[in-house]
Amino acid sequence: MNEEHYILFGQYLENELSAEERTNFEKQLAEDQELASAFEIFKELNLHLEHKFGNITELNAFKKNLKSISKELFKTKKSKVVAFKPWQYAIAASVALLVGLFVFQNINPSYDDYNNTEMATFIERGDVNVNLKLAQDAFNAKNYKAAIPHFEAVLNSTKSPEIQYFYAVSLLEDNQFQKAETNLSELKSGTSIFKNKAIWYLALTKLKQKDYKSCKKILLTIPDDYEDYDQVQQLLNELD
Amino acid sequence: MATTTIHPDQIYIDGLANNDSAIIQSIYKKFVPKVVHYIRNNSGDEDKAQDVIQEIMILLFNQAKAKKLQLTCPFDAYFFLLCKRKWLNEIKKSSNKGVTIDEDFPSSNEPTEEMVTETEVFDEKQKLFDLMFLKLGDKCQELLKLSFTIKSMEEVAEKLNVTYGYVRKKKSLCVGQLTQWIQETNRFKSLKIT
Repeated sequence: MNEEHYILFGQYLENELSAEERTNFEKQLAEDQELASAFEIFKELNLHLEHKFGNITELNAFKKNLKSISKELFKTKKSKVVAFKPWQYAIAASVALLVGLFVFQNINPSYDDYNNTEMATFIERGDVNVNLKLAQDAFNAKNYKAAIPHFEAVLNSTKSPEIQYFYAVSLLEDNQFQKAETNLSELKSGTSIFKNKAIWYLALTKLKQKDYKSCKKILLTIPDDYEDYDQVQQLLNELD
Repeated sequence: MATTTIHPDQIYIDGLANNDSAIIQSIYKKFVPKVVHYIRNNSGDEDKAQDVIQEIMILLFNQAKAKKLQLTCPFDAYFFLLCKRKWLNEIKKSSNKGVTIDEDFPSSNEPTEEMVTETEVFDEKQKLFDLMFLKLGDKCQELLKLSFTIKSMEEVAEKLNVTYGYVRKKKSLCVGQLTQWIQETNRFKSLKIT
């Protein structure tokens, strides 16, 4: 290629050629591979330079933005994964141990950590047992004292393990330990699905009264296929 | 190019081209952790990963701006493969030390490979063009810089204190010089540039 060619390329791209010159040039391109490939590169260089210099402010803004976002996100990530050296692990472990000793020497597990009472759902649509409805509402609102008389009214007419269980839990919440234990013991010697739950609540009755020894003794009688056995295990660990 | 279907993940490419912070952040949150994990497991660390990722993002910005990068595969695979290959190239360059490369990643499918190759070719071209530009004389460099920044040839002529006709002609000749060098390089390297 010589200078004339490049000047022609420029004129063609800038639309400075006459119609005749244009057709001529395009014909040449179709016939001359060498010319065509030079023209392709010439065109691409123009695009490249246009972008390189035309978008320079945008590129710099992008780089700046990118850096700040990257820095921000990597920083937060880094602070999470601080690599410990082995001796630091040793220190961390002994600190944790000391803290643990302090905490667990003085504080025994409390009833409040374990009394995750479930929702009572006795009432079905169309059911008209007023007392049962009132008992359920009061129980679910954690207003146990109010629930007790309603439960008693229901139990007087029809006795079911389910109602008895919720009644016993309400009694325990209301600190009527004696009554709670009687009802729970009754459930314990029965065969309903509330049997194991009742044993668990018997243990909690002892826990609430801070009788840790009896609590543990009862916990140990709960079979390990009890649905919430992990709670039993956790409490046993804390009691040790 | 007109008939290829564009992947919905094109939003990430457009977001980069528009310097959209929300999109950049979501790329960092969604796709970057995988890259960092890979580089860390292959003789790198977090800082090196950060460099690779930034370079790839800038490359994508450039390609999107210059050529309208059109994504035909998922961004996730495309971005990961780009970063991975860039990192592997870097350790190859600097490695006489034993380097362990975890090559367990399943090789990606063809559309992704194609997209990645396209972007890598774009990258090489850009670098070659920039390198050649620096070989030009000061006069050519200044004239090209001005005429592609200002756009009005009359203004450029005024600034350089030459005639309009001269700027026109000189611009074509400077780009012509670059064209010639690149053709020679192509022949030499038998690198397929266009």
